[in-house]
Amino acid sequence: MSKSYDIAIIGGGPGGYVAALRAAELGKKTALIEHDFLGGTCLNRGCIPSKTLLKHAEIIESIHAAKEWGIETGELSFSLEKMKKRKDDVINKLRGGIAFLMKKGKIDVLDGFGSIETPNKIKVLKEDKQEVIEAAKIIVATGSSPAVPPIPGLKEVSFFTSDTIFDINKIPSHIAIIGGGVIGVEFACIFASLATKVVIIEMADRLVPNEDSEASKLLEKELKKKGVQIFTSTKVNSVEKSDLGNRILCTDQKGNEVIVDTQELIVSVGRKPNTAAVSNLNLVMDGPFIKVNEKMETSVTGIYAVGDVVGGYQLAHVASAEGIVAANNTAGEQDTIDYKVVPRCIYTLPEIASVGMTEAEAIAKGLAVASEKFDHVGNGKALAAGETSGFTKIIYEKKYGEIIGVTMVGPHVTEMISEAAAFMFLEGTIEEAAKMIHPHPTVSETFYEAAQRIEMKLRAPLKV
Amino acid sequence: MAKEIFMPKLSSTMEIGTLLQWFKEEGDQVEIGEPLFEIMTDKINIEVEAYEEGILLKKYFGIDEEVPCNYVIGYIGEKNETVPAVSPGLAGSDENSEEKAEVKVEAKAENTVESIQTMAVAGEKVRATPAARSIARNEQVNLELVQGSGPKGRIHQKDVQAFILNTPEGVRISPLAKKIADNEKVNVGDLTGSGAHGKIVKNDVVNVLQKEQIAEQQAASSAAPARKKLSGMRKVIAERMIKSVTTAPHVTLTSDIDMTKVKELRAQLRPRIEKQTSLRLSFTEVILKAAGTVLARHPKVNATLVNDEIIYSKDVNVGLAVAVDDGLMVPVLKNVDEKGLSQLTVEAKDLAKRAREQKLLPDQMKGSTFTVSNLGMYAIDAFTPIINLPETAILGIGRIQDKAVVENGTIVVRPMMVVSLSFDHRAIDGAPAAEFLTELKHVLENPFELLV
Repeated sequence: MSKSYDIAIIGGGPGGYVAALRAAELGKKTALIEHDFLGGTCLNRGCIPSKTLLKHAEIIESIHAAKEWGIETGELSFSLEKMKKRKDDVINKLRGGIAFLMKKGKIDVLDGFGSIETPNKIKVLKEDKQEVIEAAKIIVATGSSPAVPPIPGLKEVSFFTSDTIFDINKIPSHIAIIGGGVIGVEFACIFASLATKVVIIEMADRLVPNEDSEASKLLEKELKKKGVQIFTSTKVNSVEKSDLGNRILCTDQKGNEVIVDTQELIVSVGRKPNTAAVSNLNLVMDGPFIKVNEKMETSVTGIYAVGDVVGGYQLAHVASAEGIVAANNTAGEQDTIDYKVVPRCIYTLPEIASVGMTEAEAIAKGLAVASEKFDHVGNGKALAAGETSGFTKIIYEKKYGEIIGVTMVGPHVTEMISEAAAFMFLEGTIEEAAKMIHPHPTVSETFYEAAQRIEMKLRAPLKV
Repeated sequence: MAKEIFMPKLSSTMEIGTLLQWFKEEGDQVEIGEPLFEIMTDKINIEVEAYEEGILLKKYFGIDEEVPCNYVIGYIGEKNETVPAVSPGLAGSDENSEEKAEVKVEAKAENTVESIQTMAVAGEKVRATPAARSIARNEQVNLELVQGSGPKGRIHQKDVQAFILNTPEGVRISPLAKKIADNEKVNVGDLTGSGAHGKIVKNDVVNVLQKEQIAEQQAASSAAPARKKLSGMRKVIAERMIKSVTTAPHVTLTSDIDMTKVKELRAQLRPRIEKQTSLRLSFTEVILKAAGTVLARHPKVNATLVNDEIIYSKDVNVGLAVAVDDGLMVPVLKNVDEKGLSQLTVEAKDLAKRAREQKLLPDQMKGSTFTVSNLGMYAIDAFTPIINLPETAILGIGRIQDKAVVENGTIVVRPMMVVSLSFDHRAIDGAPAAEFLTELKHVLENPFELLV
């Protein structure tokens, strides 16, 4: 007699475990199937380990800066081993936290690789052991894996992806990063702070091409200051072994050959969805991703999908939001996902955080928008902290002063973006933002200042 | 000696007046004839002038407060005179101030439509009806938060009630949604919010706007009827008609009247009256005169019914229904029975003109004991008029038409006119009403009776 559940969730990442918790809270008998550690890519191979290491990078940078301010520390040395240990401690603590929550929610965590046999049966495979469970409803939260492009010679050389890079046991002298997206630029910061010679090769004409262009320009400038070499509009043709380790052969925009010699290589060109678990179902797909509606329903009744496997933002917090929507729907409530306010964070030094649309996106949508930028150079707290490289930019709709999007660059902006997100979510307008008293001195005042400038502009025509 | 300023009683039915605005502040010098304050009654709104000069010492009531008639609302006197801290109530009740500051109603009455508009701009940002303000005051609702459903966002009683009922804190709406709703004149009270706890968000407002847009387009494409909100004078008429029809049991008597002699009389008197007044004598005036004369002889029909009390008036004041733009007004001719046709012609024409130009004085709209409604200029033979409460009877006049009638066994052609008398059966019974109408017929058929 197989075990039977109201709701089974395949994948224990931020989409899956959050969905499991919600389903359990709604009184459903819930199973969570995970073949690896709980917490998914985010906790084990993504957000959390990278942020732990980026904190180290930030401290290293601060120590360098402190020298100029008259704070001497003697020669700086670091132990990669200890840093990795701290990273692992953080991960273990958080894994334990999730496990505790599962236990508290009386959620059965099934160890093994789950795949859907029929819309009500899931096979859970662990090495040679196999178990079939039944579930009235299933949520697929199987996530994604680093994509490896078909670059000639890549298979013959050793390279890292974001899945494996945290296992590196020696700080390399040189590292090349193929892909200047969110993951690539964060690793660039980590290794640059560890005194590794870093090269980024990006096919688009700028780093983090989905973000505000001024933000990527500023990031590029700051990375170059850290000694990072950046090739944009550059295509990788092939990879081969060299004396140093790897040689990357590229072509730049003008058709010139670019040769990058490096010891280690990271490939971070994107992620592909993990769809093996649903291969038995004939689901309607959206490109490589599972197609879902706003209730997170797939084309098969009773099967839901959330997180990276459905594409979209591919962010942990979006996966969690989708997981809650899916769990609510499986439990018989009516819920739909709303992507209007999704904050996006890049934990480089300086950080980039954004929410809503960029100005280019808003204009492309035909909205009557304008933007206002306030530089951190004019902010007291930023000056005091010696962190004046950054800005806050508000994209607003001109008639009602609706906040359409906000991009922030600078230290701590990944924390600050929540204020902008809250304003947007609660539909506060420029007027309220310009009126709300902000604490002084804080970098968050830049949002206030930008809003006040906009308010004066919006008000100006009325004076005529 | 400080003199009382009180809420004037402008009609027999007026019990309270709403103070719309003060034109003077406490401490201001007031001259005789200067507008002092503006009030609104159930019928009209008017400016009230000072009839005394001095310093405005005290104002007991503020804008939009409802004050019973003859209540003291302030004092005019000399500087530093002491007056009571609160209104002493009815004027004259304070023995120390026997002299009342009389007020004269300013000769610029406005019709109801205008009055409501005036009220809306009377120095207040929030547009609201007095009833709405009254509820808002009692329930401590901030009117600035209430979305009005009336024209230009005016807040009505029902808006305040909806606001109170919705949630204790009122309508929950995001700032952005509110801005859009305000700008696009969307009544958020009607919206269902899709946000947390029913909070109205941008999408809710935008969806309504889109629906309206679609509806408008559809309406434009299918020749939809023009729609007009029942407001202003129309609303007053509607309310009064409903009240009359639902409270007064109407009985209508009709009588066919031979107008041969009235026609002769009119033909003879017309040149003379025209010479005297430059005005043409019309049948209306003759009928008014006849009705007035007969009313004086039939006090049971010359009555008003107020609060379970039938008041038999000694004065015969006949209201004349006058059609005005999009409405109806009933100016009053006083002591019709005592006036000659020449004077009646002057007065009736003046009142009708004033009514059409919306320049009636309050005094010209009150005190009627009977109404005449003449549709004789149209192809109307007879109709059943609705009683103008608190009056108890109304006379409807049809057209004069040559008809074959039997007279002494032979068929002759006579100018005939049907009159209809509707009476309130609570106050008048069939027999006295029939007696009145019979005598009226007799008088009109033998107009020399008017000389009796």
